Amino acid sequence: MNFVIRLSTLMSMLACILTPFQAYSDGTVVDKVYHPYVLPFEREFEWRLVSHQTDSGNKLAQRIGVGSAITDTIALEAYVVGERDDYGDFGLAAYELELRWQLIEQGKLWADWGALFEIEKQHTKDIFEATSGFVLEKEFGKTSLTLNAFLVYEWGKDIKNEWETEFRAQYRYRYRAAFQPSIELYMGEDFVGIGPGFIGLQRFNGQKQLKWEAGFITEVSQSEKNHSVRFALEFEF
Amino acid sequence: MAKQCLWLFCVVFLSFTANSKEYRVVLKNHLFYPAKITIPSNKKVKLLIENQDRTPEEFDSFDLNREKVLYPNRTSVIYIGPLVKGDYEFFGEFSPNTARGVVIVVDEVQHADN
Repeated sequence: MNFVIRLSTLMSMLACILTPFQAYSDGTVVDKVYHPYVLPFEREFEWRLVSHQTDSGNKLAQRIGVGSAITDTIALEAYVVGERDDYGDFGLAAYELELRWQLIEQGKLWADWGALFEIEKQHTKDIFEATSGFVLEKEFGKTSLTLNAFLVYEWGKDIKNEWETEFRAQYRYRYRAAFQPSIELYMGEDFVGIGPGFIGLQRFNGQKQLKWEAGFITEVSQSEKNHSVRFALEFEF
Repeated sequence: MAKQCLWLFCVVFLSFTANSKEYRVVLKNHLFYPAKITIPSNKKVKLLIENQDRTPEEFDSFDLNREKVLYPNRTSVIYIGPLVKGDYEFFGEFSPNTARGVVIVVDEVQHADN
């Protein structure tokens, strides 16, 4: 009975949020689902990899970042992004600065809220991208639903200035710390992808912990092949 | 659609106004007092944890899905629940061998009798 109530609540919530929402984004949508929490003293190294397999070939992007909490509720992280180009060469593609802001105390309200702000500059091109949006997480017993809704603006001499929207969702079962299976959904312009994933963590002494994430996303709105695999490792210390 | 939005608004609004019962916990010499906290099931409650040590601690619990830094000589607030009956362990990340405790969730009637 509880499960039925939780499921209906979850469906109502998703319907409320998704019905008026159409996502428009021509960039890479499959990346990471953000959670709305920041810990004071948090410092981290992060590595992310996303591989897209389409009919026209394989695209690979990796990013390495370092970040730190700058207040009790705000964390700042800087990344360098590397991509494999059309000739198969892997090289520096962009720089990115990201700010995460935990807006309310976890568990205080019906759901937990955060905000995300990002600015990215392409390395060799005059292309900038600014992202802002909300991050929401709601617990349903042993499961958690996380939603990201972003507004993106791209500008520069080498790109047509435009607004885009992105939507990401993750529903995970907190089975055990090391293994929390999930279902992930990504929406952007001409892209709706869904697939399984998992996250986990291993604690060490003090605040040291290693987190891992993976997702296997299949594009479902187009007939052509578009599979994405994403991995992320975060070492907090 | 309008009904769904109204429902969502009501739930969010009610969550702003709901009062949570408070439970006081002290962290001293890297030990939690009390180490067993009994709370009623299906209720959101507030843990007020006073860290009387000179060093910070980090409250951590996978069972409760909470992580929170406890600054020295300060009282920190952690909201937990609503939870179903059961035992939910927590510990301090900087003193995991000593700073340990458990939140015991019981039926409301059983809780009132305690």
